[in-house]
Amino acid sequence: MKIEINSLHFTYPTGLEAIKGISLTINSGEQVAIVGQNGAGKTTLVRHFNGLLKPTSGSVTIGDWDTTKYSVAKLASRIGYVFQNPDEQLFSRDVLTEIEFGPKNLGYSKEKIDELVKQALVWTELTDKTETNPYDLSPTWRKMVALASIIAMDTPIVIFDEPTTGQDFVNVSRIANVIAELKKQGKTVITITHDIDFCAENFERVIALSNGKVLLDGKAHEVLGQEEILAQTYVDPPQLTRLGKVLNLKETVINQEEFLNVIVRSER
Amino acid sequence: MHERLSFHIKRDSAIHRLNPLTKLTLVLTLILLAFLTPWYWTPHILAVIFIPILSVIGKVAKEYFTTALKLILPAATFLFIMQAVFQPIGEEIIFHFYFLDVTQESLMFAFRNAMRIIVMVSAFTLFLLTTHPSELMSDLTRRGLPGQFAYVMISTLQILPQMQAKAQTIISAQRSRGLDTESTFLKRAGSIFPLVGPLVFGSLAEVEERAIAIEARGFTSKQVKTSFHEIPDSSNDKILRWSLLFLILVSIVLNLWHS
Repeated sequence: MKIEINSLHFTYPTGLEAIKGISLTINSGEQVAIVGQNGAGKTTLVRHFNGLLKPTSGSVTIGDWDTTKYSVAKLASRIGYVFQNPDEQLFSRDVLTEIEFGPKNLGYSKEKIDELVKQALVWTELTDKTETNPYDLSPTWRKMVALASIIAMDTPIVIFDEPTTGQDFVNVSRIANVIAELKKQGKTVITITHDIDFCAENFERVIALSNGKVLLDGKAHEVLGQEEILAQTYVDPPQLTRLGKVLNLKETVINQEEFLNVIVRSER
Repeated sequence: MHERLSFHIKRDSAIHRLNPLTKLTLVLTLILLAFLTPWYWTPHILAVIFIPILSVIGKVAKEYFTTALKLILPAATFLFIMQAVFQPIGEEIIFHFYFLDVTQESLMFAFRNAMRIIVMVSAFTLFLLTTHPSELMSDLTRRGLPGQFAYVMISTLQILPQMQAKAQTIISAQRSRGLDTESTFLKRAGSIFPLVGPLVFGSLAEVEERAIAIEARGFTSKQVKTSFHEIPDSSNDKILRWSLLFLILVSIVLNLWHS
């Protein structure tokens, strides 16, 4: 499902102009990371996708739906949005009910819900924790419950807001796996992140925002190599990209695999 | 984006620069004068001339008058009507309204009481407009007010806007999961728990964290604490406070003498 953003402007009631003219197209099945300094407008932008915010001017369309014409509850059938803090959405007595909440709201059949929930549990490795109260779990596992509760809604587009903040290595790789699984199913994944290495390893396209505008937009490769421009929005290229520059490698590398490939080739 | 709960408006004026305790004394003096002086016109002069002039000196006249019109006038008018109608004093009846008699005395009486209320509320409004709550509290704690009391006052002012913001995020998060908060009443009634649950759990967890955080900074320590924020208390402040107290004393004496 395609997301089209047409010269979007947004001003908060306080008078703060957070989005100053953004036009973008995100195609079906793309894996997009949005980076940029705090206050660049990342969250404000993605909250337009599921209608939590409505454009001051310009438009946002999800597939054939203009977000101004549909309620958030309706748009939830097309866009899943994992909030940054899981404690702001968990309320059920056990993990299973929590995860069933979203798909039930969307009115799926019993069989479909069971299937979706089971799959979400497997992906997030929560299968043995279905009976637990989410508040008895550690914050890292609560994050996984929140993640599962959104992916069980089986939406064609999934948004993650800072999924890796405060997570240990094991959990970050779990989240990366979930994103990989979603990609296999042909879903669009949009992630806001400050974790630039996570971004380099898991996303094909990177959009850098600065001050309510798109600073850079393109293949992860092209974007993450532009050290000077990224510095404008206080983003450092991944460590390996910087190391590659110091070593005077001919190509820009952004992750381990690429780095090793280039090294091996130059050895020969 | 956080909404403020305090009325305080940050400006630089002679009144803003006064010590919070001096301002508090001033407010009390105004109120006591309005109630104690034997002279009938005192509250009127305070309400109509003196306090508005103070609001101009304090550079908050615009805010003062909007608050006054919205908050104080309706209340005072209501009080005036009730007292004028139900006060069984005086002989000279001005007009009848069914079984109710409005006399000249009851009108005068009601008018004065309404003015007293105006003095009371508007003096406090002026105080809140020109005094930052945390400045007031740190000054009072320095003078011996228990820290716990100050904490309760200040944290209430801070927590409410925070909870409001949190509630807003929770509503957004649950609507993103397809929770219907906009359609039929029955559907909306069913959506209470998913909204209230995280707010209550979250707030409880926050209370605990807050307690640990302030204890880590020696909240219950019996030692005398120093303050980073110095609140000036000039000799002018002291002179003003003593003269105000003297004024209160005079009005009490006059009041006793008169009766």
